[in-house]
Amino acid sequence: MGMPVSSSPSPLLELRGLSKRFGTVQALDGFGLDVQPGEFVTVVGPSGCGKSTLFNIVAGLDEPDDGGILRFKGRGCHAKELLGQVSFMPQRDLLLPWRNVVDNAILANEIEGASRREARAKALAMLPEFGLAGFETQYPHQLSGGMRQRVALMRTFLFERELMLLDEPFGALDALTRSMMQRWLLDVWQRHRRTILFITHDVDEAIFLGDRVVVMTARPGAVKLMRAVNLPRPRAPDLLTSPEFTAIKREVLDAIEEEAMKSFISGTAAPP
Amino acid sequence: MNAAAIAALRLLGGVILAGLVWEAAVVGFGIRPHLLPRLSEILAAFAVTPGAYWAGLQRTAAETLIGFAAGTAVGIMNGVIFFRAPLLRDMLLPVFIVSQTIPVIAFGALVVMWFGNTLFAKAVIAFYLTFFPVTVNTLLGLNSVDPRQVALLRSFGASPRQILFRLQLPMALPQIFVALRLGASLSLVGAIVGEWFGDNTGIGVLLLQAMYNESVVALWAAILCAALLGTGFYALVAWAERRIVFWGAEQ
Ligand SMILES: Nc1ncnc2c1ncn2[C@@H]1O[C@H](COP(=O)(O)OP(=O)(O)OP(=O)(O)O)[C@@H](O)[C@H]1O
Ligand SMILES: [Mg+2]
Repeated sequence: MGMPVSSSPSPLLELRGLSKRFGTVQALDGFGLDVQPGEFVTVVGPSGCGKSTLFNIVAGLDEPDDGGILRFKGRGCHAKELLGQVSFMPQRDLLLPWRNVVDNAILANEIEGASRREARAKALAMLPEFGLAGFETQYPHQLSGGMRQRVALMRTFLFERELMLLDEPFGALDALTRSMMQRWLLDVWQRHRRTILFITHDVDEAIFLGDRVVVMTARPGAVKLMRAVNLPRPRAPDLLTSPEFTAIKREVLDAIEEEAMKSFISGTAAPP
Repeated sequence: MNAAAIAALRLLGGVILAGLVWEAAVVGFGIRPHLLPRLSEILAAFAVTPGAYWAGLQRTAAETLIGFAAGTAVGIMNGVIFFRAPLLRDMLLPVFIVSQTIPVIAFGALVVMWFGNTLFAKAVIAFYLTFFPVTVNTLLGLNSVDPRQVALLRSFGASPRQILFRLQLPMALPQIFVALRLGASLSLVGAIVGEWFGDNTGIGVLLLQAMYNESVVALWAAILCAALLGTGFYALVAWAERRIVFWGAEQ
């Protein structure tokens, strides 16, 4: 992939030649990526290119096909060994309707066997940071979409794992809430020092958040472009109109455009 | 709490109004008492032998409740087992379905022969009518849990047992309660039918005695007892459902 590997510390997550096939659908084909500790990597790609499939593998939910390499913390492993090892937030909030905000947030901790009382105390202390102060006893059906998303994020953060996988966490939010949540996420990320893999459809979001943007090819998913984002942090909204930002955006968009065209053509053409 | 009190008052008002209309209709239209007696006459029948009615009510309530509770427990257990072991489900569920096509009357005679004229025998019939809908709905509820939700819990490292108790069973509760409401009515039918095969106390016995004595008033008194028990039990289950499944069947 042409990434300088030797100069950096040992990566937290290494993926080499990862493939996954569902029946006749080749979802991933030779996907490769290294993620350094503390890094914020964003992944963009056309719809259906295998982004969620990638996350399911890294979360331990799906086994990749034979031949690929999956290493976590320097150790080669099966995907299923990663169950309980990474903090995964799926595309939907998936809150449990009978649990209030706090109890939803501590679900993962409870499953780990943590004391409910301690976990609750920790969650309560975290509420203001997630903009949920005063809502601890509300139930999901009483919350707005943005709030539900923040509860799901809080659940992901409370499950303290080095690697976090966020699958389009802001996909369902309106533009205003979304840009607020982005800055808020950067803030929380900087304070908690986690490694984040973040899927999005929004190129602005990918560049604004990431240390690196990974553009995926149309299905079967592989890496199309790996672009470092050397923009200073903390990042402010006016960054989006700076020439540096625009230059990166141009490059990423070109790559996406090409792939979108491909998937459009293969989608309209008769199957082989 | 206040709203509940108002609702209760409204219900009471409705019952009193219906009673007054009954009384007035019988008197006003001159309906002959062997077709429909006056309500006050029926209530007077209660007053003459309150002990018999009270004992019958208690006995039938006990049979119904025991059968219903056992049917619920076994039904939920069956549902969980069938959910976990699809092979067992494919083998046994058809047998269950066939067993349910046997009319309860035919089955009732057998149960009474097995267990005699005991409270237990009636509870068994009530159980027989309850456990099947609970089994089916538990299975239905467990199967309808969003697989993405299961995947999320698995990603937290949850064991199958944790997934069952923290996700699948609670998610299945709305479906289970649909069966419980049905079971509340069916278990009462089972208990009354069971009593027809021979017993000394119970609402079913009161019904039979009234029929043999051709006493329309006594018959109506027994019917009122059954209605009281039926609605009371149904209301109890519905109340429990509102308390437990407070988030509603749909998120
Ligand atoms: N369990 C599965 N069984 C069969 N096919 C699957 C399965 N999971 C994913 N696929 C297929 O694999 C391909 C990639 O799916 P995936 O969900 O990873 O895409 P995605 O990039 O996350 O899409 P989106 O941007 O729409 O979320 C799709 O064609 C999908 O239909
Ligand atoms: Mg997806």
